[in-house]
Parts: sequence; structure tokens; C-alpha cells
Amino acid sequence: MMRILLLLLLLVLGPQGFAAESYLDVTAPTSGKMKLAIAPTTALSGTLPAEAARELPELFGFDLGIAGPFEISPAAEGSALLLKSAYGVQGDTAIIECRLVDQVLNREVVAKRYSGRLKDLRRMGHAFSDEVLRVLTGSKGPFTGKIAYVSKISGNKEIFIMDYDGRNPQRLTNNGSINLYPDFAPSGKELIYTSYKKGNPDLYRRELFTGQEARVSSRSGLNAMGVFSPDGNKIALVLSKDGNSEIYQIGRDGKELARLTNNHAIDVSPAWSPDGARIAFVSDRLGKPQLFVMDANGGNVKRLTSNGAYNVTPRWSPKGDRIVYARKEGGFQIYAINPDGSGNTQLTSVGSNEHPRYSPDGRFIVFSSTRDGGEGLYLMRADGSGQTRISPDRALNTHPTWSVNW
Amino acid sequence: MRKNIAGCLVVLCMGALVAGGCAKKDLVKPEETAPSVTAPAPETAKPAQEARPQTKAPVTEPTPVREPVVAQEPTREASKAPAGDLQGQLQKIYFNFDSSDLSEDSRNILTRNAEYLSRQASVKIRIEGNCDERGSDDYNMALGERRAKAAKDYLVNLGIASERIATISYGEEKPVDAGHDEAAWAKNRRDEFVVVK
Repeated sequence: MMRILLLLLLLVLGPQGFAAESYLDVTAPTSGKMKLAIAPTTALSGTLPAEAARELPELFGFDLGIAGPFEISPAAEGSALLLKSAYGVQGDTAIIECRLVDQVLNREVVAKRYSGRLKDLRRMGHAFSDEVLRVLTGSKGPFTGKIAYVSKISGNKEIFIMDYDGRNPQRLTNNGSINLYPDFAPSGKELIYTSYKKGNPDLYRRELFTGQEARVSSRSGLNAMGVFSPDGNKIALVLSKDGNSEIYQIGRDGKELARLTNNHAIDVSPAWSPDGARIAFVSDRLGKPQLFVMDANGGNVKRLTSNGAYNVTPRWSPKGDRIVYARKEGGFQIYAINPDGSGNTQLTSVGSNEHPRYSPDGRFIVFSSTRDGGEGLYLMRADGSGQTRISPDRALNTHPTWSVNW
Repeated sequence: MRKNIAGCLVVLCMGALVAGGCAKKDLVKPEETAPSVTAPAPETAKPAQEARPQTKAPVTEPTPVREPVVAQEPTREASKAPAGDLQGQLQKIYFNFDSSDLSEDSRNILTRNAEYLSRQASVKIRIEGNCDERGSDDYNMALGERRAKAAKDYLVNLGIASERIATISYGEEKPVDAGHDEAAWAKNRRDEFVVVK
């Protein structure tokens, strides 16, 4: 209740008053949801194509439903918020006008007009969903980001990219070998991955808009699990050139900067803290794979997990307050824990769930799951609610990673 | 929700007082600094500011599998070189779950493999470490490496020159049995010995 009061007061104060303020608690999406209705799309001029009429309301319902703070209501009447959209075409250009109306105050909260290629209709719709979240929560939505993932739809593992909701899958690699571990640069415009296409598991960096590619690390043995530092200037990865798997830092050009681990155990799966000061990783130095945290120079190693016999694949939340990971207990389940080891919480329980990663805004976690047979892609809110399948097909799809907004 | 609506009405009144009761006109504000709402750019041109969601599609590689992948991949099957029958002689070894320890069976096999290798001193091999599907694939990538290294170390101890033996891990990416039971897993936790030259 307090939230709604606050919201309405802020709306009255005008855009300056609420643009920077976060007054919807997106981390507690199940309490105090606001009713939001989505009006049928109207025509800007002429007749409305049936596809646009169907697509936009569906898209807004999915985006804002999964977002958390809203209860999508079928009826405009009695809903605090009403989202309206209108669609028109001029030649090859599609135009949409979107408005979010506060029905209680009879006031427009935000209105935008987008134009683009006809096939970018969904992208334009997601852009407005991003905007709705920005205006209402102070933090822009992640819906125009892309998800890169590994798919076996062609028979071998290739890197693909898709919209966050599973639409528009596009193949990035096509080399017939094994391609693994995609990771976006912070800019979202580059992707690194490991490929066996020249025999050895080497690390490649690809510019997504030009297709230009460089083999960044081809040292003997593993060049795997590369992850960009938050500033995009460095890559932490696993190399085994010195005898067994260790974590290193290299530059974007592949030059070795530092060796971070040095022991006979397996050390894998580095994950940067958002400030770039620390790295979480997996090591079996105490017998079984467990999570550890170290300073980004390799010092000050501390064990993070003390429960569970087999904990792997840590990923830091964008705010730095949580680390999500997978625990093997028969199959895998996804947990999140505070970086000091407190607050361990189980987030999944159905099927086997692996490869968790936060969305760039921290609202969501993408992961892969076997719950519907095979291994597919899913997303959930950071608290584990709203678990939803987003796989574009029934093929084996794993290792999702979510880029910043394109 | 009824409570919420009641509360909203209260706030509505408060809001009316604060804002002077002016409900804003239903007016579309183009995105800030939008230069050309009325003149849509041609499809190929750079999107105007208000068309921000329009982005270039990522470059997709040509669909036909024309890349000379096979040529690039290391010779998996034995080359027709003199080492032909050596490839047939080299036996795989198997591991327990999450282990790179060499069993007595494995050590016996490695001893025989070392004998074959010592008879053809010019031949080089690659040891390929593999895992079953149950572990974390990140971790298994390193475990496969450790399995390959364990066999290499054993062969080197038996006198095979280290330079003759390369290692590679395929983690859990190259199962020989696609099944999901212990029989399949046991077959997949293995080192393979591949003649490369």
C-alpha cells in the first residue's frame, strides 16, 4: 500500500521527481503488485495488420509480467496503469507510439514513438518495456539485450544469439566443431568464446556487427571459460599450459597479464565482481569442487561455500550483493549466496538446473534446465520467482549469457 | 485491491491538491532530441534517434557448412602412415566418477601402450581426456585435462619421450555412448590414445 501511495505522489511531482528514484521494490516482486492493463493496439492510420495487433500486446504482457512489479490485468477498468500502443507503416518503416497512463490520476506517465524496419517491431516494443521499467522503478529494463547461448540444434555445439524472450535466434558460429562458453563484452558488441575449430580449445573474440574475429589465446591445452572484466579491458580465463587448469588474466589482445592461481588442484570458472576487485572461482583444492573468492590479483583466497559437496559456476550479481551458482545434489540446483558466505538461498527445485547468470540490470537470472526434458533455456527473477522457459526450440541449449541493451 | 483503490482515491485527491488537478493532455513526446519524427529515414540509412531500437543484425556466418572443418581438425582417426596398426593396438583406459586416478587395469593397459609406442619411436600421439555428463561441464573440462595428463605422466615414467605425447581435454563434449545410465557413463569416462604422426 505504501508503495502505491508513494508512487502516486511521485507521479504528481512530475518527471524530475521520479526519474532517478526507485520506488518500486523490484526485488520483492510478489508483494504489492500493481495492476497493469494492456489495451489492444490501434492503427496510427489505415488498417492494422493482424500480426501487429496480436504481437505488441503479447510482447508487453510478457515483458511486464515477467518484470515482477505488475499484475497484468485483462481489464483496463480497475487497473492502476494502462499501456496503450498504436502501429503504423510508412513504406518500409514501421512506427509505433506507446503510452503508459496512470488511470488513477488520469495522467500520462511516459509516451514514446519509435520507428524502424518492419522486422524490428518486437525490438521497438521491448524498448518501450525497458522505458516503462525505467520510469517506474528508476532502473531501465534489460529487454532489448541479447542472450548468447550454446545450441546443438545443428548436431554439434555452436554459438547462437537470440532476443531475451527466445525470439529471433541467429547462428554466430558455423564451424562444425565444439563451441563453448560465450561471454559478452560489457559493451555488448563483442563476444568471446572457446572453440575447437582448429583442434585445440582456443579462445576467440568476435565483433558482432562486423563478424571480424581474432584468436585471442591459443596456448597449449585449455583456453576456456573466458570472461571480460567489468571495464572490458581484461579477460579472466582458464589455461592449462603450465600443467593443470589455472586461472589467468590476459589482455584483449591475448597477452598474459597475471597468473592468479597456482596449485595442483583444478581451478576453473572465474567470475568477476562488478567492481573488478575480486574474482569468484571453483577449485577442488579441498577435495571436491567448491566456490572460492580471491582478490583480482590472486591474493586473499577465501572459501565461499561450506555446505554441499559440489558447488560450481559462480556468477556475481551486477550490484555485487549476491553470487549465484549451481550445486550438485543428484542433479544440479541453483542457489544464491552473499559474497561473505551468508544468506544462502535455493532458487530452483524442478529438474536439473545449471549455468545461472544475471541479466545486466540484475533483475533476472538466466539458466539452463532439464525440467521439460532435454536441456533448455529459462529465466527467473533474482529471487527465484517467475521461472519461465525461453528456449527458442527443443534442441539442447545451454550457457545463456545476457548482454547489455543493444 | 479494493483497499488499494480506496487508497488511490485518497491520494488522487491529495494529488489533485498538489498538482492543481491538471491531468496532462494525451500528447506523445518523441524521444528527447529526436530530429526527424516526420521524415522516416530510408531503410538502409542510420536510424534516427527515435529509432534507437533499430540495430544492425549481427553478422551471421554463411549457412552451408563450407568451412574446411575436417581439414582443420586434428587427424582423429589414424593416418594411413606406417603407424596404422599402432592405432589399433593402443587401448583406451577408464576412470571412476570425478577421479583421474589410474586403476590397476589402466596401469596395465598403459604399460602395454608404452611398449607399442617404444617400438615406433617416431610416432607421436595425442591423449584425449573425456568425462561423463554428470559433473559440471566447466569442471569436467579441467578433469578431462587431468585424466589425459595422468596417462601422459605414466607413459613418460615408462620412458616415452614427453615431446611425443600431446594432451587435450574434451570434457563431457565427446561421449562415445549417448545414454544416461551408469553403463554409458562408465564408457565415457576415458582416455583415448590417438596417433597423430
